[in-house]
Amino acid sequence: MPLNYEPLDINTDVTTTRTLLHEVIPLSGTIVSGTYSDNNIKNYTHGMFQSVYDYPYLSSSANHIFDITMGFTAAATVSGRGLTLSASCAASGVQNSKKLNTYTQFAQTLLGYKNSAGNEVEIFESDTDISDDTNQMTSCYFITLSRLIMKEQIKKGSFSMTIGTGSFASGLATTGSSGTSLNKAMAVVLHDVSASAGTSGEFKSGLPGGDYGILYVSGASPVTASGVIFYQAGVVVLSSSFMANPYNITGAAFTGAPYWKVGATNMNVQSTFITASMSGACDALRRRIRNISFNNTTEINSKIYFCRVPHNKYNYSANPTYTKDSKIQVKDLASDPPLSYITTVGLYNSSNELLAVAKVSEPLKKDPTNELTLRVRLDY
Amino acid sequence: MSYRKIGDSDLFFNTVEAHPYVEFFINDGNVFYNTQPRHLGHRNTGSGPPTVTAVSSGFLSLYEYNIDRPFKGENRAIPHKKNTYLEEKASYDAVDKPINFLQDNNRIYAWISKDSSRTAPKTLTRTDFGGGFQNGEVITFDYPLSASITREYTGSSYTSTASYNSHYVALRNRLNFYGIRSPHYLVDSPYGNKDGRPINIISIPSIFYGSKIRPGTVSLKWYFTGTLAAELRDENRNGELIQMSATDNGVNGPQHSASVAGVVLYEEGIILLTGSWGINNKLCRLVEALGSDVRPAWIYFGAGCNDSLKQSSTGMNNTFTSASFGISFEGQTQTQVMTMFAHARRGEANYSNNPTFLKKGQTRALYTSSHVYQEDPTILIANTVSSSLVDYTASFKRQVYISRVAMYDHNRNMLGLATLATPVLKEEDRSYAFKLKMDI
Repeated sequence: MPLNYEPLDINTDVTTTRTLLHEVIPLSGTIVSGTYSDNNIKNYTHGMFQSVYDYPYLSSSANHIFDITMGFTAAATVSGRGLTLSASCAASGVQNSKKLNTYTQFAQTLLGYKNSAGNEVEIFESDTDISDDTNQMTSCYFITLSRLIMKEQIKKGSFSMTIGTGSFASGLATTGSSGTSLNKAMAVVLHDVSASAGTSGEFKSGLPGGDYGILYVSGASPVTASGVIFYQAGVVVLSSSFMANPYNITGAAFTGAPYWKVGATNMNVQSTFITASMSGACDALRRRIRNISFNNTTEINSKIYFCRVPHNKYNYSANPTYTKDSKIQVKDLASDPPLSYITTVGLYNSSNELLAVAKVSEPLKKDPTNELTLRVRLDY
Repeated sequence: MSYRKIGDSDLFFNTVEAHPYVEFFINDGNVFYNTQPRHLGHRNTGSGPPTVTAVSSGFLSLYEYNIDRPFKGENRAIPHKKNTYLEEKASYDAVDKPINFLQDNNRIYAWISKDSSRTAPKTLTRTDFGGGFQNGEVITFDYPLSASITREYTGSSYTSTASYNSHYVALRNRLNFYGIRSPHYLVDSPYGNKDGRPINIISIPSIFYGSKIRPGTVSLKWYFTGTLAAELRDENRNGELIQMSATDNGVNGPQHSASVAGVVLYEEGIILLTGSWGINNKLCRLVEALGSDVRPAWIYFGAGCNDSLKQSSTGMNNTFTSASFGISFEGQTQTQVMTMFAHARRGEANYSNNPTFLKKGQTRALYTSSHVYQEDPTILIANTVSSSLVDYTASFKRQVYISRVAMYDHNRNMLGLATLATPVLKEEDRSYAFKLKMDI
């Protein structure tokens, strides 16, 4: 029970701060692509997405790290065919309606609607102007990162993803058969390098899914964007075009049709979207992921109370051990100045009810010759 | 879909008190928690504990983030840079620029930028924080954060203000405070003075027990060559650790059954042992500093429990493995729980918006235009009534299967969803109350 109370001036003695705590989250490809013989990959009977864990998911130690799925719009076209992806899928593929619904649901949740009537969903674009209908990504993979690892949001400018875009025999290769460097990038890095936070950062705000940034292919010439990332929602939208051609990084042109394995079958990405099941298509992408890394963010809000101890106060203690045999124990002579040791600061409400206490790591000597300001920080 | 309001009597809060059982076993420097074996990692086979959780057995990993991840420094910068991590770091160091990027080491770890708020990890000293980092530079701290019990033996707890064990001294006030429970707590009591005596302190982090250790559940077992030699219990629930039995005390030494060998500080998670009598007449090497074998006694209990003692330690011998120890107790946790009752009363909740609720092949809209949408009033509901007879369709009854209960706020935003293990058949003349519980 204190002898007296020192009122806090709300204007001068109390302030708030915000600290950003980050974590580095590296997800190496061995976790994603088969170290555990796919025992860490959970497929569901509905077949609409698969969940990736960092350890066989039957273990209680396993953490869910992300889900992966794919889809396309009704207008997505197929090069070299007269039909749309959807029509081709309906004719010779599987899960056509689920692929359409998946794309639409992501677009509806993250982008919203095109018009005020609310009957047409926006389409993902690999630029920051969603309304101009250019650079549309009509067939995409979706990677939804777990809340456990992305926390409150992904740090802008920190995301990168290394992915193999070569044909199945050399999906992640960096050198040719003779040991010479390839003139095309088989393993490319997609990253949101220009999306650093701040007014100069290249990211889009104000959408239902929050802020999003563009995923560029590192070093590609010309500058190539191949996806977007939603920072608060933790969703990576990857255009299927990343597998359309290996990216020309060293200048020499490359033409060809890169294939990957879907089960035991070699397919290019268009065929995968049409004929493969959603989980099969996800497997194909998963096995091309060499690395994903990003920084997450947690905000720590704090209130700081500056508890001022004037020179002429708090030089006495109500502690029963303060006096013994009619003598103040911490004083040698009766003529010595008053003296106390401060160990605890109590924060009280207007009814003098104790709300919180703060302890100092070692007692502070207080006498009339000094004044103290104790900085009490409350995190929440 | 219709909404029903949660009434006053349908919502209440209470506290669930749980008592998690905790058990440790200690032998030759190894600690086992709740009889869990050491799970060796599949990928994590290298530096640090090569286990799935990257902590030694007997330890808890706080967040269990780095599951089976090897600590392996990659020459790769996060965020992505054109140059390698080392190249980039060298270029920053050359111009003394604060390093604001990180190295990929295959593990999750936390970082913070040094700024004027002076926030820093607790593991960083004030000097290191001030001189070791520039403003804007990243300060990292590793996961996993771990916890386990520790045992500390001190031959001389407090002899003077110049010679003392700080952990014991920090407990002296608390021991005197709990003297009201039992005089055995008191530093200076009719049972002796703890100052200056050998003391055995076992510290249990609160993550293992919650708010306090449950009185009456503490048991310390001393095994000698695998046989139970003696046991301590706090059967009076007042913190006194009383010896229950001893295998051969009656033959080889004074009978110490019912003697108090120490006390438990339930709220602080501390066990303090002072009993120095021989539990049996065997000898083994339990104290490194003594350099000779001693009789098993409670002040040596838990030797090897994260105190760096093991058979192979300098000054120890193979008799150390004869001693093994069991510690068990119950914790006490309190969880606030919100309970809601959602009622599906007779004559209500008998319709479903599921498309399969209606008979297949019917046209729902009778008439539709820019101004009018009219449903067919004669549309038929599918008959889901089961019949036990072959080739016979049971008579139609209005019924639905309830599979989920959703909770909404005032604006009809869905806040939570409870899914039943198996759908419940709701017939028109039946009432159901679904009980939803949520920890808060």
